[in-house]
Amino acid sequence: MKKNKSILLSGPYILWMLLFTLIPLGVMGYYALTDPDTGAFTLNNLRDLGLFLPTLGTSVWYSIVSAIICLGLGYPVAYFIAHRSPVTQKILYMLIMLPMCMSFLLRTLAWVGLLETNGIINVLLGKLGMGTVEIIGTSGAVILGMVYNYLPYMILPLYAIIVKIDNRLIEAAEDLGCNGTQVFCRVILPLSMPGILSGITMVFVPAVSTFYISQKLGGAETMLIGDVIEKQFKTSNNPNMGAALSLLLMLMVLVCTGIMNRFGGEDEEGGVVV
Amino acid sequence: MEFDGERILDGINLYFNDKEFLTLLGPSGCGKTTTLRIIGGFLTPTSGRVLFDGKCINDVPAYERQINTVFQRYALFPHLDVYGNIAFGLKVAKLPKEEIQKRVQDILSVVGLTGFEHRSIDSLSGGQQQRVAIARALVNRPKVLLLDEPLAALDLRLRKDMQNELKRIQQAMGITFIYVTHDQEEALSMSDTVVVMDKGRIQQIGKPEDIYNEPKNAFVADFIGESNILDGIMLSDYKVKFFGRVFDCVDAGFAPNEPVDVVIRPEDIDFVPAGEGHLVGTVTSVTFKGLNYDIIVDFRGFKWLIQTTDYHSEGETVGIRLNPEDIHIMHKSEYSGMFGDYSSYSAEYDELTEDADNEEE
Amino acid sequence: MKKTNRILTILIFAFLYLPMLVLVVASFNTGKNLTIFEGFTLDQYKALFQDKDLLALLGNSLLISILSTAIATAFGTFSAVGIHSMKPRLRKTVMSLTNIPMTNPDIVTGISLSLLFVFIGSALLHQKESLNFWTLLIAHITFNLPYVILNVMPKLKQMNPALQDAAMDLGCTPVQSFFKVTLHEIMPGIVSGAIMAFTMSLDDFVISYFVSGNGFLTLPVEIYSYTKKPMQPRVYAMFTLLFLLIFVLMVAMNLLQIRSDRKKLIKQVKPVSSRQKTFRRVCAIACAIAILLGCGWLILSTRQNKVTLNVMNWGQNIADGSDGTLDIIAAFEEKYPDIDVNYTTYDSNESLYAKLAGGGLTVDLIIPSDYMIARLKQENMLLPLNFDNIPNYKYVQEAFKNTAYDPENKYSVPYTWGTVGIIYNAKFVDEADVTGWELLWNEKYKGKILQFDNSRDAFGVAQFLSGISINTTDAEELRQSANKLAEQNPLVRQYVMDQIYSIMEGENAWIAPYYAGDCMMMMDANPDLRFYLPEEQGFNLFIDAMCIPTCSENKDAAEKFINFLCEPEISGANMDYICYGSPIEGARDYMDEYLAESDVIYPDQSILDKGVSYLFLPAETNRLMDNLFMEIRIAGQQPEEEEEASALPVVLTLSGLAAAAALLFLPKRKHK
Repeated sequence: MKKNKSILLSGPYILWMLLFTLIPLGVMGYYALTDPDTGAFTLNNLRDLGLFLPTLGTSVWYSIVSAIICLGLGYPVAYFIAHRSPVTQKILYMLIMLPMCMSFLLRTLAWVGLLETNGIINVLLGKLGMGTVEIIGTSGAVILGMVYNYLPYMILPLYAIIVKIDNRLIEAAEDLGCNGTQVFCRVILPLSMPGILSGITMVFVPAVSTFYISQKLGGAETMLIGDVIEKQFKTSNNPNMGAALSLLLMLMVLVCTGIMNRFGGEDEEGGVVV
Repeated sequence: MEFDGERILDGINLYFNDKEFLTLLGPSGCGKTTTLRIIGGFLTPTSGRVLFDGKCINDVPAYERQINTVFQRYALFPHLDVYGNIAFGLKVAKLPKEEIQKRVQDILSVVGLTGFEHRSIDSLSGGQQQRVAIARALVNRPKVLLLDEPLAALDLRLRKDMQNELKRIQQAMGITFIYVTHDQEEALSMSDTVVVMDKGRIQQIGKPEDIYNEPKNAFVADFIGESNILDGIMLSDYKVKFFGRVFDCVDAGFAPNEPVDVVIRPEDIDFVPAGEGHLVGTVTSVTFKGLNYDIIVDFRGFKWLIQTTDYHSEGETVGIRLNPEDIHIMHKSEYSGMFGDYSSYSAEYDELTEDADNEEE
Repeated sequence: MKKTNRILTILIFAFLYLPMLVLVVASFNTGKNLTIFEGFTLDQYKALFQDKDLLALLGNSLLISILSTAIATAFGTFSAVGIHSMKPRLRKTVMSLTNIPMTNPDIVTGISLSLLFVFIGSALLHQKESLNFWTLLIAHITFNLPYVILNVMPKLKQMNPALQDAAMDLGCTPVQSFFKVTLHEIMPGIVSGAIMAFTMSLDDFVISYFVSGNGFLTLPVEIYSYTKKPMQPRVYAMFTLLFLLIFVLMVAMNLLQIRSDRKKLIKQVKPVSSRQKTFRRVCAIACAIAILLGCGWLILSTRQNKVTLNVMNWGQNIADGSDGTLDIIAAFEEKYPDIDVNYTTYDSNESLYAKLAGGGLTVDLIIPSDYMIARLKQENMLLPLNFDNIPNYKYVQEAFKNTAYDPENKYSVPYTWGTVGIIYNAKFVDEADVTGWELLWNEKYKGKILQFDNSRDAFGVAQFLSGISINTTDAEELRQSANKLAEQNPLVRQYVMDQIYSIMEGENAWIAPYYAGDCMMMMDANPDLRFYLPEEQGFNLFIDAMCIPTCSENKDAAEKFINFLCEPEISGANMDYICYGSPIEGARDYMDEYLAESDVIYPDQSILDKGVSYLFLPAETNRLMDNLFMEIRIAGQQPEEEEEASALPVVLTLSGLAAAAALLFLPKRKHK
């Protein structure tokens, strides 16, 4: 039958993806398990990972905090956009998309200019006679950078889900005696759960692995796992250790998104029941 | 024909005559669409052969067969306008432009859509889309046109119009139509030949009148119109016994004392006063149907459907008469005992099955 | 509720656009600083269009993203059709393969790909330049493919399968029916997939950063190294123009969509004449060709029939023509028109070493410091120079010959020399506190102190303070130095290299150890900055010298460049910009008087005698130093005396693996 023939079209793709996604991960595993000097098999790299667990913990913590802030800020915005007229929706959607297309390096650099001790914000505050705030170099600045960079990744999936919620469901809930808050908690929120989960994933994954934001906005104490990995490759010349760290990071992300998807699955079912 | 390891069609042996309007009729899942797809070339049978003008076309792909199809829900190309849809096949065949133009215009006038060339598909009504689909298939001048439930998506009135329209087009073009439907009324009113199918097998082939008047088994009897089907014993030629009584009938050729199914059409039964009838029963329900009443009568625990223009009230005791020509005798089949009892009769029954049919495939 | 939502939305949009506004404003600024607007000018735009390198980078980026998007779109669309016709279970497996690059952090994708490319290129094919244009293209296609597939698949699912049957019924072969019908149906998916792929590819930094060599860089990767240095405002001008371009494109696309939505409502479709159709097609093809040609031209215009000389130097370490200095590279290219210099930078000896040892690139000329030269020599990573090609070697002062790192003068020609001292801001730092290296440990200036972000220099500072030899190999002494650095950690605002410029000039930190020449440049920008050399405790005296690594492919051109830089006039002009001492006899005479007389650049011989050079250290010492430094960076506390060799992380990793596997496979079972 004809269908069998078109399956062949995906052959090159499967080959390509195996060659350039799975095998590289295998090579990474190989590096993680070999000695940088001798190339012999060793568990030393994995053992030394213990050193970096606090850093990983910091990264995860920052990313979770930024994801939650993004959700808190992004949800009302997505909700607001989803309830505009179609043309306004398009315009606002575009305005959310636009920053994502521009160099995030330069945009983050602009935050340095804004937040520096003698940066724009402090100059303005000084002129208003309100003293200065020391933000740069703190964990707050790093989280701000994360929120700034990844907020659109939260708003877009949320918007996509909220805009699809059938207005009749809300009317039905009102008809059944729900007040505004109840409608939100019992209908809208459960229905937007898939968007919330994908938004959190889309913020969490890049945030936990970033190194640029912490380099620029962070200080001496805000080293993240991404920085460590970058340093292993670009300064310490220890790709084996770097590979081991990447492996750890990948597994951690896999586990986190896995847990989220499992929760998501259950919540989704709950949502359908409502 | 097997599909996903399941036998879908079994022992289909069909002959199509030239310029014939043939209908494949059956409930959903009976294999009629599968048969059509095999003829159209979208499926290859696991065994058996498809012959066209005496040549085996099993290995001829769909796009090389001189057969065209009007699809369920039309499958019009949404990115093309009416003209683009109709001219599609001709353009693929690389006909000269003038000829394409002429043929499209001709067919548009046949289906009554002249002037609609540059309308977008979305802006057409269901009936208009239907006509475009037919025109798109016919413009290629196929030898056989396959129609897969073409009227299923139309409302009742439009469906009636289109039935006449299709018949007219078929006669005007003079080609073979193979028509798939689950609607027995449609099948009976349009076809030259009706093929009743169920469970992947052909149950009966014949002219509409023959199918209605002389169903071969309980399935056909029940599927085509309403029937009361009773167990009986054929005592000898023209004598059948049921409900403890011997009736005269017009059928012959059965073995002596052969158990048979007896079919009595609800509209053939005449009411008589209780004392004068062959059988006496009690009316249990009366439904007004417009042209007639549907009356359910209980005869010793067996409920019959009787259609009559006379009103009888619930609880009334009535008698009936059965004339020999009203009684039709069938051999016992696997369907015996499955149909023909109206004890769970409900007026909505028919509509429910129809909905289920619409969801086929 | 609704009102607060509206206000919040406005605030969020302000939050999103504020930094972009800052950059746009900066592009019209006469000053270089992001913070202070000095006056309106369009000069940056003029500079942008004269900056061939920047335009070439933009061309590179466009070329890579257009090519990768085009290939991924075509490839992905066909693959999606194939995947669509699979049985559900197989399709699920393939889709989880597709999801790998989507769910993996970019850094993991980038690293795994770069390891693969280097592994194949260097270990299997013995290529010198295993990270190049093609690896970058492959990486971009790989992460673009899922975007296309994930956008096309739903459209295929939505499509009425009878449409394909209908096309075949009307005489189309399966291939024809794909092009005539299926393609039209899934077009919206293809377009949105392509747009997503293009924007992701154009703005990708992380993956490109790991996968590109030095031969072919994209704009974001180069911007990353720009952001470490004081940024050239023309980059802001480019940002503004790109912003405008993308804005216009997006608005145009939206308008087109709104128009086509409206069109659908109108019943009568205007017939499109075949002439119009041909016209449209010709336009589309012309656009595509124009874009490709444009990119090609941008790249080729800088590299026509030329030998490419790949130079890798420290950031801010060659005169580039700004502020009235000589543009050395331009002068060299003018003298040797057949040589094209591809100039990239690194910010520490260690990162240079990592780049060279990591493999995957071609470098013809490097300028490492003394101890690194010794290390590279030891590891056979340098080629001996042919001094017949470097007649100007005669100008090199005797003091810079027969050095410890190159006693036979075989591998290196000195470029600059200098000292490491303390730069501080006199406005905030009490002169009385400036007594020695302990200034960097002064609690008073907590949060205003910077430290080197490379182990050797940072350890050096601690060792001078503690009176430990900076060339010690004793593990105990190294731990002591590390403890000293750990003690300093709570006071340190940031560990920096090239970023130091903006931080010190902007007075965001007050005290930092750094290289004298760079300090001189900063002092130029901010007159409150002072340089101090703790001569009593000792300080590092270093020589940066030009060497040719073994991965060089144009040794002759590299030697020509070395010879060129040894000309006293050129060297002097160069020093005017980089503010270091020149080892070339007579160069000082060509320097700006103010610089030539500066005791930051040319301290007294008596002081110089107290300087100590870094010597080559064995690999295990380097590794120990790296590890100790990393511990300080990540822990911010005293490093543990002896790292406990526990099996805990191994167990953790493996259990993580198990948990992940379980999570991936359990839901599948649930559904059955």
